[in-house]
Amino acid sequence: MANTWGYGAMTNSLGDIQNAKAIIIFGANPAVNHPVGFRHFLMAKERNNAQLIVVDPRFTKTAAKADLFAQIRPGTDIPFMYGMLHIIFKNGWHKKDFIDQRVYGMEDVMKEAKKWTPSLTANVTGVSEDLLIQITRAYAKSTPGTLIWAMGLTQHSIGSSNTRMAPILQLALGNMGEEGGGCNILRGHDNVQGATDMCCLSHTLPGYYGLSAGSWKYFAKSWGVDYEWLAGRFKDKKWMSKKGFTLARWYAGVLAGKAGEDKIHNGGTNLKALFVMGNGITSISQQAKVKEALDALDLIVLADPFVNEAAILTDKKDDVFILPAATQFETSGSVTATNRSAQWRSEVVKPMYESKTDHDIMFELAKRLGFYDQFTKGMLIKENKKSFKFPEDATDEIARIIKTIGLTGWTSKRLKKHQENWHLFDQVSMRGIGPMKGEYYGLPWPCWTESHCGSPVLYDVHRPVKEGGMGFRNRFGLVHDGVSQLAGVGIKDAKVEGGYPEITAKNIEKVLGIKLSEDEKKKIGKNWKVDTSGIIAAKCMEFGIAPYGNAKARAKVWTFPDQIPMHREPLHSPREDLVKKYPTYKDKPNHYRVDTRYASVQNKEDWSKKFPINLVTGRLVNLNGAGVENRASKYLAALTPEMFCDINPNLAANHGIRDGDMMWIHSPEGTKIKVKAHYSYSVGEDRVFIPFHFAGFFQGEDRTGNYPEGTKPYAVGESANTVTNYGYDIITQIPETKGGLCRVEKA
Amino acid sequence: MSEITQKALTTKVGRRSFLKMAAIAGAFGATGAIAGGNVTRAATDEEVKNPYPGSKLVKTICTACSVGCGIIAEVQNGVWVRQEVATDHPISLGGHCCKGADMIDMVRSKVRVKYPMVKEGGAWKRISWDTALDKIAKKLGDLRKTSGPDSAIFLGSAKMSTEQAYYFRKFAAMFGTNNIDHQARI
Repeated sequence: MANTWGYGAMTNSLGDIQNAKAIIIFGANPAVNHPVGFRHFLMAKERNNAQLIVVDPRFTKTAAKADLFAQIRPGTDIPFMYGMLHIIFKNGWHKKDFIDQRVYGMEDVMKEAKKWTPSLTANVTGVSEDLLIQITRAYAKSTPGTLIWAMGLTQHSIGSSNTRMAPILQLALGNMGEEGGGCNILRGHDNVQGATDMCCLSHTLPGYYGLSAGSWKYFAKSWGVDYEWLAGRFKDKKWMSKKGFTLARWYAGVLAGKAGEDKIHNGGTNLKALFVMGNGITSISQQAKVKEALDALDLIVLADPFVNEAAILTDKKDDVFILPAATQFETSGSVTATNRSAQWRSEVVKPMYESKTDHDIMFELAKRLGFYDQFTKGMLIKENKKSFKFPEDATDEIARIIKTIGLTGWTSKRLKKHQENWHLFDQVSMRGIGPMKGEYYGLPWPCWTESHCGSPVLYDVHRPVKEGGMGFRNRFGLVHDGVSQLAGVGIKDAKVEGGYPEITAKNIEKVLGIKLSEDEKKKIGKNWKVDTSGIIAAKCMEFGIAPYGNAKARAKVWTFPDQIPMHREPLHSPREDLVKKYPTYKDKPNHYRVDTRYASVQNKEDWSKKFPINLVTGRLVNLNGAGVENRASKYLAALTPEMFCDINPNLAANHGIRDGDMMWIHSPEGTKIKVKAHYSYSVGEDRVFIPFHFAGFFQGEDRTGNYPEGTKPYAVGESANTVTNYGYDIITQIPETKGGLCRVEKA
Repeated sequence: MSEITQKALTTKVGRRSFLKMAAIAGAFGATGAIAGGNVTRAATDEEVKNPYPGSKLVKTICTACSVGCGIIAEVQNGVWVRQEVATDHPISLGGHCCKGADMIDMVRSKVRVKYPMVKEGGAWKRISWDTALDKIAKKLGDLRKTSGPDSAIFLGSAKMSTEQAYYFRKFAAMFGTNNIDHQARI
């Protein structure tokens, strides 16, 4: 999505969904996963009679509330959306003006959409032609429409194409930059947005700054440390700019060198130490490999309020450390909601028992590793202090440095004021009243300056920048294939007409038609992303423009293997006939430091013969993530005390499995889990559903004896990810856990 | 007793466990008689209205999902005693799902990790923070020297605060590796 229009975040807000006239949901189940957020969806139905459309492999609780429901075959969202576009273009339901002014490369999409006739789409997706037409008509004719997704769209080998396809559908209908429209990703955990913005990621620095020497120099300077010292901490400068291993495949970094394992590129060493802080180890696929990797490590450190089940899974006998980490109720700080709004948490109680906060653990280790002064110096710089106060000084450090997503306005003082005044914000528009007038709740980023109001609807050119307006970001150059990438429409009340480039020290005088003073010339940063002087932001506000430019969104990403999204069958597809027609990618060497297989897995055999059943995973209402936290609650655990599998009674009966019987699920990798059968018509006969929150059992073996005394959670069971299949997104390396295959058997 | 209630009782409580319960009730009744009935008394109106005198209300945000519902925690003498919905919160407007309604158990659950531990010779052993941190830092430092900083990987969290997540990224940077990631990758 960031590759389409600049940022990869939810564009509108939950409250704004109340403005929608139609809602289409792909691979998300907010009624269960975001129940309170789902209230805003239901309000749209009440207020606007909005059509609620759900496209999902199973009949979820969200689908139960839908006006129209399409039970799609896993991994065929791209054909489904092309099928919709086929009908939209054919009937002229697309917004021509919008596309002309604000989108680049839509012609290529139109060409591809022509192929996806309703009958072809029906064949590939399993959704009937009639229903496809009915859904398309309902959605395209009721604008603004909002498009919702979650992990059901991302966890595929073609996930990064899926997340470009959905924006393309919205761009075609002119649903972007509109109240009640937008691409609204529902994040999973409470601070996925914030932790992602801070880039606990192997390919970026906080604020999505890349890993180039220029970025590192900016951070070294901003952290108050010598760049050469920082570079000296790495193997060498070359490795400083290389993407690291990801959460999805870290185990490969341990196992490399063993027979049959993927090759790695990690500076001549395997991974030997694993340091985990707040990350359930059973949340990634290939748990059998994860176990092997855990067993082979030299050092495992697990810092969590509850036992991280890595400790249960491994047979490693020494050097496994469990540290009691405090919860977020035993510290304070900010958290970014799915809509880019920051919310302040106050400390409820002091850390319980002997637990320490995450940052205290980091500070203590930094002291012992000899870089504590460098580590904490960034908090002293703003006011030239002698000592710091966490988290406030860290919040202000972030605000001082992160320009790319506009965090300048997120000072601790402002965020606390928003917390004190919850009652003064409107639930739909998020506008403040009284003393909060002129600000949106939580100052949704980009919040360009210390007095900016925040931006509740991204890319909205109908409102002035000082009220949160902006165009699409100019991120991909000025010209491509001879076509200007700048927008053909200006932002409301801007003193610069039409599109304009991202603002730099070099072009600011020309774009704004001003002359900088000598003093300003001396102080100004190279461009808006690194201008800590605030001059670029201030001038842009004065002229009513967003510092990041006003460009076209692009339907075509010329740096990706598929320039426009193309359907490719999952690595393990139940439709061997379609694998030939829509094959996956070639194997990709050095994908985040590890060679990753695509075609060689898909072509190894006709997987559908031995493994004819689609395997779908998801959440339950009472548990989240790897389930570590909620299974520690007696009451929540009691709602689903054991692991189970939703199975269609006919499929079950054909395998002699009765409701409540134990059954085996086998994966193509040769792994298996033993779970309780739960008859359900929410899945068809060609697929089963399993929740991914359980751990403690492994391939039929009860490992709960490994819990240290008094720490065993109230519910345990097999981890779904022991049987989710091999397969990773071609760009992001997100695991393909939503379109794999399996075989079922009575236990 | 209606037929339905009777059925519910008999299915939930087996005969044997019902007898056990009855035995316990009998024993309790006997103790109560000896104590002369002074063990309990009716709460006063004031106690009903304000069971936690001197408590304070703290505003925070649910840690389950990204909706970001408001929570009002009632704290008395440093103990989180009650949890209330935030009716004035602009996103949740007093709503809570079952996870959010039980956030208090994130803090007071009995199965929390209570002290640092290390596995030695296959058995869990309680250790002090200083010992744990010294040992971990020594091991990390040694590996860094012998195998290079890329021999470690740091998995952070979408459950951290934004400030902590930022510091976690900085920690990996200053350790000297880009082997760092978190749940956004799944």
